[in-house]
Amino acid sequence: MTESTRLRLTPTTATPSSAKACCDTSPQHTAGTDAPVVALVGAPNTGKSTLFNALTGSRVTMGNWPGTTVEVSRGVWRTTLATPTCDCENCICAHDEDPLAITLLDLPGAYSLDAHSPDEQLTRGLLQDGPVDERPDLCVITVDASRLAHGLYLVSQVRALATRVVVAVTMSDIAAQRKVTVDTAILSRELGCPVVATDPRRRTGVVALATAVRTTLADPVPDPRPAPITDDPLVLDDDRFTWLSDAADLATVTPGHDRLTLSDKVDRWVTAPVAGPLLFLAVMWAVFQLTTTVAAPLQDALDGFFSGPVSHAVTSLLALVHLQGTWVEGLLLNGLVAGVGMLLTFVPLMGLMFLLLALLEDSGYLARAAVVTDRLMRTMGLPGRAFLPLVVGFGCNVPAISATRILPDARQRLLTVLLVPFTSCSARLTVFVMLGTVFFGKNAGTAVFGMYVTSVALVVLIGLLLRRTLWRTMGAEPLIIDLPAYHVPTLRLTGAVVWQRLRGFLKTASGIIVATVCAVWLLQSIPTTGGQAFGQVPVEDSVYGVAARTISPVFAPAGFDQWQTASALIVGFVAKEAVISSWAQTYATEQPQPGQTGLLGDHIRAAFEQSSGGHPLPAVLAFMVFLLAYTPCVATLAAQRREVGHRWTTFGVGIQLATAWLLAVAVFQIGRLFW
Amino acid sequence: MSGPLHLVLDEITAGTPTLAAIARRTGLSDDVVRAAVDHLVRAGRITSTELSLGCPTGGCGGCTSAGDGCTLPAALADRRPGLVSLSLTRRVA
Repeated sequence: MTESTRLRLTPTTATPSSAKACCDTSPQHTAGTDAPVVALVGAPNTGKSTLFNALTGSRVTMGNWPGTTVEVSRGVWRTTLATPTCDCENCICAHDEDPLAITLLDLPGAYSLDAHSPDEQLTRGLLQDGPVDERPDLCVITVDASRLAHGLYLVSQVRALATRVVVAVTMSDIAAQRKVTVDTAILSRELGCPVVATDPRRRTGVVALATAVRTTLADPVPDPRPAPITDDPLVLDDDRFTWLSDAADLATVTPGHDRLTLSDKVDRWVTAPVAGPLLFLAVMWAVFQLTTTVAAPLQDALDGFFSGPVSHAVTSLLALVHLQGTWVEGLLLNGLVAGVGMLLTFVPLMGLMFLLLALLEDSGYLARAAVVTDRLMRTMGLPGRAFLPLVVGFGCNVPAISATRILPDARQRLLTVLLVPFTSCSARLTVFVMLGTVFFGKNAGTAVFGMYVTSVALVVLIGLLLRRTLWRTMGAEPLIIDLPAYHVPTLRLTGAVVWQRLRGFLKTASGIIVATVCAVWLLQSIPTTGGQAFGQVPVEDSVYGVAARTISPVFAPAGFDQWQTASALIVGFVAKEAVISSWAQTYATEQPQPGQTGLLGDHIRAAFEQSSGGHPLPAVLAFMVFLLAYTPCVATLAAQRREVGHRWTTFGVGIQLATAWLLAVAVFQIGRLFW
Repeated sequence: MSGPLHLVLDEITAGTPTLAAIARRTGLSDDVVRAAVDHLVRAGRITSTELSLGCPTGGCGGCTSAGDGCTLPAALADRRPGLVSLSLTRRVA
């Protein structure tokens, strides 16, 4: 191959000849028609183009390769065999007595000759498929020392061709940072071609590379590396990998090669089949316990703020404008201040929860938890990849439903969409924390944690039930996870994540909850009997109260058939945060019973005490289980309908309600035997 | 004797959960395991999917929450540790 027959690029740009050092005394961009042609090949980001620039300086022409849109650079490499003696900084010119100009081609980055992209097609065409007399005289293959095996696959393919090869090992500094050293002598012996370490940015190893290239050019073309005769491409590829793996293992010197890194040691425990789930449970228990303990005083302070100064200010303001005692006062004081205000007392709790979860996520631990969850899913025969939307569901069910799109199989998507509502979202957390604090005191965190464990159990059991009945033939495809490295969470990133999630909570509180509060207030203001004015009716005689009393007997077997409790569950269909706001609204208009302080917690405790016949703890647990299992919110229903249609959404709601009721009844009926 | 590619495929089929665990179980170096997985992905034998447990490392483009009021700056999202799942796309003959 001569330059005149092989390389007629369509010029696109040309680098100007601006250098004034001795390295660039000649303006010519060609090495002459008889000059040997060397192709520089290698995977992207292995320093190939940097090496090309270092070798050619400004003597470069760029253009599309004939018949393609792939851009190839061509330059003149004036090789030298001796150490430069001139004063040029970073001199690369030839000072030996017999300098040789080489035409150097910078081929596009290619991982292999498998031709998966136009760039790889060009490289394959030039090195393997094209006529022998049009092939380069030699290939310099750049290989990243920090990812040696990646680069050696291309070497294994080129070594199987009848062509001269020199391997240029780059990025040795990055490998050194990872305490990896490549022994070029051993690698050369194993690969059967010269190997030179070079750092084109510092221009070290350039002369050694030139020497290796010129020496190899003077030698005959080596015999190709023998390959197995087979029609199975995997067997052929595996032969190459065996070869490169052996070479890389022998040539790579890693201090402590056999020792595990700290991250590996941690992961062995964190992702272990038994210790992993136990650790995950312990971590989540600590999160809930810490959240409820630390946030409690802040929550009490905010509660006092809304029920004290804010309520007084609203009352005074209404008195000023002569609206005291009117329906406006009912809406503002008993509706918005009581309902929305009560919800806002959860801001510190949610903020702390989001902070702890963000720290776990940003550190890389939640990714390990995903491995644990994934293993559990597959043990149960459920699709492994379904763990992701389910994990997302513990934050919010709506994006979790959307996240089911990552599942390739329609039946897997459908199954996961039906399971997501059983994951305990952060909206339910507010109710769990409130009830946990009221009924379990210092053990509130453990009670909340129990609900999350119940949630996981529900996902698994319902999943198994559906799998064994509706989708018996669904396969659980193998799946592995490439874990990110552990790292110290950053303040900016963690803060941004916490704010993002807290903003979502505040958005719900200020949007859908305000609307729900207004709707509840309206229903509580409409009398069902004559002789009572709008807004002046006791709640139990309002449309709201009468409707709730009609439905509440359904919950008698579960121990919470008080109409106030039943009505909160109905409102909870809109959003789970509305359970709290509706309770606050309902009880804000009621007078405290003798012995009660008038606090919301006292009202709720009295209601469960009464409805359960003296077994409030089993009743409240049954209520929490019902809240966990029944339909999360209208937004989730809308997301489900969008993903799987009306019929399956209705089917899902049916499963949720049936599961919730049956479980609640079971919990109460069994629990009251003991408490 | 099976080569690295077959060893890695066998481990994936057996349900080995992470690349590090595959390296431990096969005795291959991390570098070779990663190179083998990358090769198998390019060859279409396994599928690589970015999982958005938090934010996808590829940015907001593939995130399901991108249009749902996400306020996380894209520059930060890019820096979050991401999960990549790898699954078999066809059976090995």
